[in-house]
Amino acid sequence: MKNFNKGLAIIFAAVLTLTSCTEDEAEAIPTVPTTNNVTLEFNNTFGEDAIVLGDATSAEATVNTSTEGQIHHFSELKYVISNIRLINEEDIEIHYNINDLDNGATVVNQAKEETLQYVLNNIPSATYTKIQFGLGVKSNLNTLDQEAFPIFYAAAGKNDTEMHWEWGTGYRFTKIEGFYGEDNTELSIHTGSTDDGGQGVDAYRDITLELPTNLVVGINAPKIVIKADFNTLLSGATTITLGEDNATPSIHTSVNMMQFVDNLGGNGDDNITGMFSVTSVEN
Amino acid sequence: MLKTIRNISIILLLVSCNHDDSEIISYNNPELELHLPEGFPELNNSFFDNKPTKYGVELGEKLFFEKKLSADNSISCASCHIKAHAFADTHAQAIGIKGRIGFRNTPPIQNLAFVKFYNWDGNKRRLEEQPLVPIITHEEMDSSILEVIGKLKTEKEYLDLFHQAFGDEEITGNRIYNSIAQYEYTLISSNSKYDQVKRNEGTSFTESETEGYQVFQEKCITCHSTELFTDQSFRNIGFPVNPNTDEAGRARVTGNLEDVMKFRVPTLRNIEVTAPYGSFGQFVTLKELLDYLDNGVVVADNLDPILKNNENKIPLSEDEKLNLISFLKTLTDAKFLEISN
Repeated sequence: MKNFNKGLAIIFAAVLTLTSCTEDEAEAIPTVPTTNNVTLEFNNTFGEDAIVLGDATSAEATVNTSTEGQIHHFSELKYVISNIRLINEEDIEIHYNINDLDNGATVVNQAKEETLQYVLNNIPSATYTKIQFGLGVKSNLNTLDQEAFPIFYAAAGKNDTEMHWEWGTGYRFTKIEGFYGEDNTELSIHTGSTDDGGQGVDAYRDITLELPTNLVVGINAPKIVIKADFNTLLSGATTITLGEDNATPSIHTSVNMMQFVDNLGGNGDDNITGMFSVTSVEN
Repeated sequence: MLKTIRNISIILLLVSCNHDDSEIISYNNPELELHLPEGFPELNNSFFDNKPTKYGVELGEKLFFEKKLSADNSISCASCHIKAHAFADTHAQAIGIKGRIGFRNTPPIQNLAFVKFYNWDGNKRRLEEQPLVPIITHEEMDSSILEVIGKLKTEKEYLDLFHQAFGDEEITGNRIYNSIAQYEYTLISSNSKYDQVKRNEGTSFTESETEGYQVFQEKCITCHSTELFTDQSFRNIGFPVNPNTDEAGRARVTGNLEDVMKFRVPTLRNIEVTAPYGSFGQFVTLKELLDYLDNGVVVADNLDPILKNNENKIPLSEDEKLNLISFLKTLTDAKFLEISN
């Protein structure tokens, strides 16, 4: 496998060399496909440390310490990404199935490696400078409509995912289970929208990330490596101390939930990145 | 896609012929004439988008009693929403499939056409958005709408009813929700002794009921106002708190700390038959509930001012309690409940 990779690398290098040397030999340029795939890779971290999940007494789990000095670690970590858009050099937005949860939304689940990479198919060949996506689901699509989006409904609702917020007939946007403090007290932080156009809260957050280097879609199927730093959960814009009387553990209430929402997804105003940043673009 | 276009054109046709009854008659599914009791609050706006029709209601009623709505075909809406109990039940908390215990007390289903907020925390404002919740909730029916549709479409009786109600045999979630809501809109209770006395229909209150009505007007009517006996507001009146940490009352909808443990003021109609009382059935009898209010409630920052400014209680003498209960029993509508007096 290694050899094979090496072989590929040599071929790539050769192609690159060729490409760079063909400016005046137009006919030798390999045909650029009109579209190609782009992979989004999600690295869930506490700061620079990759998150390892673990139960209450796990020795392997990544333990984080909040600004307020509270240690915590997670046993479960999931969130929904939807409404993905790429913005090219000319400021034109490419919408990736933004109104189709079956083909344009995904549940990132730290416990399932395959969900940490999400492949966007058939992205038009171009050079892109920004990516936008939603943490959660926009209210107009957030209706648990199994008839319209059976695939996403099933993916979100599976027993090991439990991302249906039944009472609110919407999806859970983030689901974090874990433990905090010296006694490993349970924490259970779930977010989701309750708004119906006239009441309730909108927990969807639109994220905008500038790419550190341009994303070139064309001959190659590039990758964007996105870091989601869950240190912001307790130590973001708002410093949160977990305790009996605030948000934990509760799977239903939206009291205090919005603080977590804003810490993870920004406030949509002067913070449009939340916990996310782009580590690298691999063209 | 073709179907969608066709449905849209049917809707357009309907809309454009709104004032022309002949088009509606061509479905042979007339709107039902509902008797709207005098003095009741205004209809919920959603009612006008989903007016009860002859077959819509017939279908909704059949679905309401349909056990196939649950994953193991063991319970229907009517399993918890029992007519003789004003479509509530006798359990502290609702019981779903496989004996799973739900989060809260089953609310009665009556006069919902006149209500602005549904459920204990008012999280739904359109009745049509509610039926999906019990269908998919683990502690209730634990099914899914596609599973339900899959079961229903094997039955000719349902295909015929959907055709009669909606113009073709297609079974969709929205048609299921709409027809159940249409049936529920027809469940109007306005024939209690109280109503008959108010309408001068030849009955009158006993002495105890009269005195109870007096107490009610002095000590209850601020919250339990209007002919529905609720002002439809959300209040924390300091009832014992649900130990389930999922409970936050109205705050789970609004996210506001000042709404913690506030609940929708419940109607008092048919209260005699909807025991136990409270969001998770804290009180077995009305007497227990009144004793609690008299003795003093759980104090909270957002405790309702009416209690807070009154030493956290609603003081009631024993006589007042008994008379009040006599009055509350005049709100029982035997005809609606289909029970004998």
